[in-house]
Amino acid sequence: MVLLYLLEKEFKQFFRDPGLPKMAIAFPVLMMLVFPFAVSMEIRNVDLVVVDSNRSVASSKLVESCTASGYFNLVEVCDDPARAMQLMDRNKADAILTIESDFDRCLERGEALPVGVKVNTINGTKGSIGAGYLTSCIQRYYAENAPTQPTTAAAGPQLDVSSKYYFNTYLDYKKFMVPALIVIAITMLTGFFPALNIVSEKERGTIEQINVTPVNRGAFILCKLIPYWLVAFFVLTACLLIARWVFGYTCAGSVGLMYFFTAGNILVTAGMGLLISNYSDNAQQAMFVTWFFMMVFMLVSGIFTPIASMPGWAQAITYLNPMRYYADAMRGIYIKGSSLADVWTDAAGLLTIGAAMVSWAILSYKKTN
Amino acid sequence: MKEFLSFIKKEFRHIFRDRRTILIVLVMPIVQIILFGFAVSTEVHDARVDVVGDLADPSVRQTVARIDQNPYLHVTAVLGSVAEVAERFRAGKSDVAVCFERNFDERLRHYDKAFIRILGDGSDPNTAQMIVNYVNGVLSTVQSELSASEGTQTASFPHVQYMYNPAVRSSYNFVPGVMGLILMLVCSMMTAISIVREKESGTLELLLVSPIRPVGVIVSKAIPYLALSLINLVTILLLARFVLGVPLRGSLFLLAVMSVLFILASLGIGLLISVVSATQKTALLISGMGLTMPTMIFSGIIFPCESMPVILQYVSDIIPAKWYIIMVKKIMIEGVGFSYIYPEFIILLVMTLFLLVVSVRLFKRRL
Amino acid sequence: MNENTDIIIVEQLTKKFGNFTAVDHISFRVHRGEIFGFLGANGAGKTTAMKILCGLSLPTSGGGTVNGYDLCREQEKIKRHIGYMSQKFSLYADLKVWENIRLFGGIYGLSGKRIRQKSDEMLRYLNMTDLRDELVGDLPLGWKQKLAFSIALIHEPAIVFLDEPTGGVDPETRRLFWDLICETAEAGTTIFVTTHYMDEAEYCDRVSIMVDGVIADLDTPAALKQRHQAADMDAVFRKLAYQAKRE
Repeated sequence: MVLLYLLEKEFKQFFRDPGLPKMAIAFPVLMMLVFPFAVSMEIRNVDLVVVDSNRSVASSKLVESCTASGYFNLVEVCDDPARAMQLMDRNKADAILTIESDFDRCLERGEALPVGVKVNTINGTKGSIGAGYLTSCIQRYYAENAPTQPTTAAAGPQLDVSSKYYFNTYLDYKKFMVPALIVIAITMLTGFFPALNIVSEKERGTIEQINVTPVNRGAFILCKLIPYWLVAFFVLTACLLIARWVFGYTCAGSVGLMYFFTAGNILVTAGMGLLISNYSDNAQQAMFVTWFFMMVFMLVSGIFTPIASMPGWAQAITYLNPMRYYADAMRGIYIKGSSLADVWTDAAGLLTIGAAMVSWAILSYKKTN
Repeated sequence: MKEFLSFIKKEFRHIFRDRRTILIVLVMPIVQIILFGFAVSTEVHDARVDVVGDLADPSVRQTVARIDQNPYLHVTAVLGSVAEVAERFRAGKSDVAVCFERNFDERLRHYDKAFIRILGDGSDPNTAQMIVNYVNGVLSTVQSELSASEGTQTASFPHVQYMYNPAVRSSYNFVPGVMGLILMLVCSMMTAISIVREKESGTLELLLVSPIRPVGVIVSKAIPYLALSLINLVTILLLARFVLGVPLRGSLFLLAVMSVLFILASLGIGLLISVVSATQKTALLISGMGLTMPTMIFSGIIFPCESMPVILQYVSDIIPAKWYIIMVKKIMIEGVGFSYIYPEFIILLVMTLFLLVVSVRLFKRRL
Repeated sequence: MNENTDIIIVEQLTKKFGNFTAVDHISFRVHRGEIFGFLGANGAGKTTAMKILCGLSLPTSGGGTVNGYDLCREQEKIKRHIGYMSQKFSLYADLKVWENIRLFGGIYGLSGKRIRQKSDEMLRYLNMTDLRDELVGDLPLGWKQKLAFSIALIHEPAIVFLDEPTGGVDPETRRLFWDLICETAEAGTTIFVTTHYMDEAEYCDRVSIMVDGVIADLDTPAALKQRHQAADMDAVFRKLAYQAKRE
């Protein structure tokens, strides 16, 4: 019974806040409408400079075939390697293709092509993928233009290798990021708001008024959690609908399961927020601590870079990271259609951490000190 | 001047009284640099490969063994049918599946052609692509061994040179990014909050009726955060150089000048936030959420700006951190001089001046 | 033994924060139905002592009872039988008048019907019926304090603790507020009040004056004035407070 009154209070306060409801609406919309376009790791528009010392029909055809691939932006064709290097220093070139003067002769004879590739690898992913594109362009060019040697046709056993990608046939990066962005939006919203909640009651002094009442502290904390569940469900629903209308993506698995994991995640984020709030003296502190944990969680959650790529010690740490479980499950369900049986480890991890957080939040909230 | 100094002292006292915040502000860069430097990487080291095919078949066994020998791949399971592959992907138990045709060996020897299909888990596009490329690489060596007896075919692999970062270490990219992110957030968030806090408690009016001019109040608020940011900068550079082994090829002085310029821009943003927000909560939410995400996503730290749609590239252009990060990369890693970075420098300078002028104007007018 | 006549019994109550002894072995009793003034300079330890009595804080040593419940072990039971209004105004500013009444009524376990009945009564009594849909944050301070006082009484507690209830309001509002306090005391509720205003001390049945964490004197205002040969409570207070050694 007391719970209802407390809940009523939390809801009224939430909707009466000048910023929170607006933020709860604007944030997911922004996340879903803008960020999917921005968070692309697809490498395109690699700025290419060609040093063509051959200047033959063959070499210009090679340049043409590279630019036709659509991955490159041809900045300049020059003769001087030093000039090309300078362009790279000035960030005008990401890759340099050097064509030596005996290019056309080598091509005619079917010898290895005298070409060189230089890529800027300060951003390693971009550099190596760019180099990969360029290499495959050159190979394709060679295969099409080198004189076919009669012997190779009957060159003996051939492996006919083909590849196919499941779940996301065209390797659409947006599809990969949509569930991750949902995870980020929900975690940020339901992490920051509760963190500010108790601490602002502390700052205003209202918490003292509550502490002199016989109210049960578990009920008090629980009632602070529940509105965030609804916020999270609202955000999830909005995001799923936007993903469907704007991008045409649908959830491959059970939508109900996504709600289930979201509910579990709120235990963690809101529990953690309230916990931090309990230990903080003022809003600034609460905010900084929350921000710190959010950053760390996000970076080692596998959202941006695969967990499998991390060194062993870092992988071990990720088992303590609730976002890892949530992100993994949400991606699995949304993209691959994983069932609860597939992602039960994630559920177990998330719920364990969530239960720990909430219990700790309740225990650390002391009415008497 | 004396009053001014006492103001600055007051600000320092405010900051250092809040031990926890100080700790976080100073420890955060260390943790982030270490995470970014060691933990965050996009290379795939240990992909799990499922095999669909008959291991009793000698050619299959040979090929599988070759795959397993690859340092980046290891074979985890042999499946009975292709149908199980999707199931394994869903449960997250494997990353790629290699499917061999029935009677693989016989077909290879008698018909000179046998099919292999690589199935990738496209739910993570880049990783999937990389893993499929690894498998392809292994298969092409197998192929060249097969053809070796029959006369060679020269494939044309151009010589690829990796510039500036020959080992392709991700820390080279992330360290400048983290520098931008941290300096930006610490400065703007803390300045904004400290001003709004005084606004809320009414002490700001007290300061403004004092003989110090409003600009003086702002400057005295900014100086401690400038100092904190410089400490952060030094910590990051030391960690980057000696723990992560990221080179510092260019001029340290130039780097310091650019960093101070960037810190000033961040202070301007902080001031702007403090002017538009009435409560600490709003200021915190704007700087904590409204600044973190866009900076992380649009500054090119993780996602290359060039891949974004044109409109979003314009958006990324107005983020000061982007320009600072470009300059840091050039100075630290490419080791170039001022003549190579002046376009970015001018952009950042204009942004900084704009932010400072606008925010100081607004600040004065609102009070 | 005196539980019927004494609602608060405190023996050797002590609270230390590190090396600092905020409350130093104090003992006193508050009779049922009286207005008990708890005076002291800033930092004398009165807020700390009051927090212990309300169950917000645990004593370092010593103990006592409030309404028959132990201060160290039965804090949640104490909380059922006390009302509290703090110096920091602490109703929810972003809730309306009736919503605040409803919330605290609900927390103390009043039924929905009882809450409606109570809030109508209360608003009529306070002449605030027209303000029931105002946000509490928009009310003038005097109104807020009257409301906070009434809400502290919503569950008809045996005793109500008022921590500097009249801070920051004009003399007229203060006088009206004290009328409210006196009426409540006449109705049988014990009042435990801290204040800075010495003229208010005159309204109290008995007054204690805390100096440096100990009770320097305790008696009726008349007896205190006589004992210290002072014209008014202000003079009594100054005489005693000047003995203070700590800030």
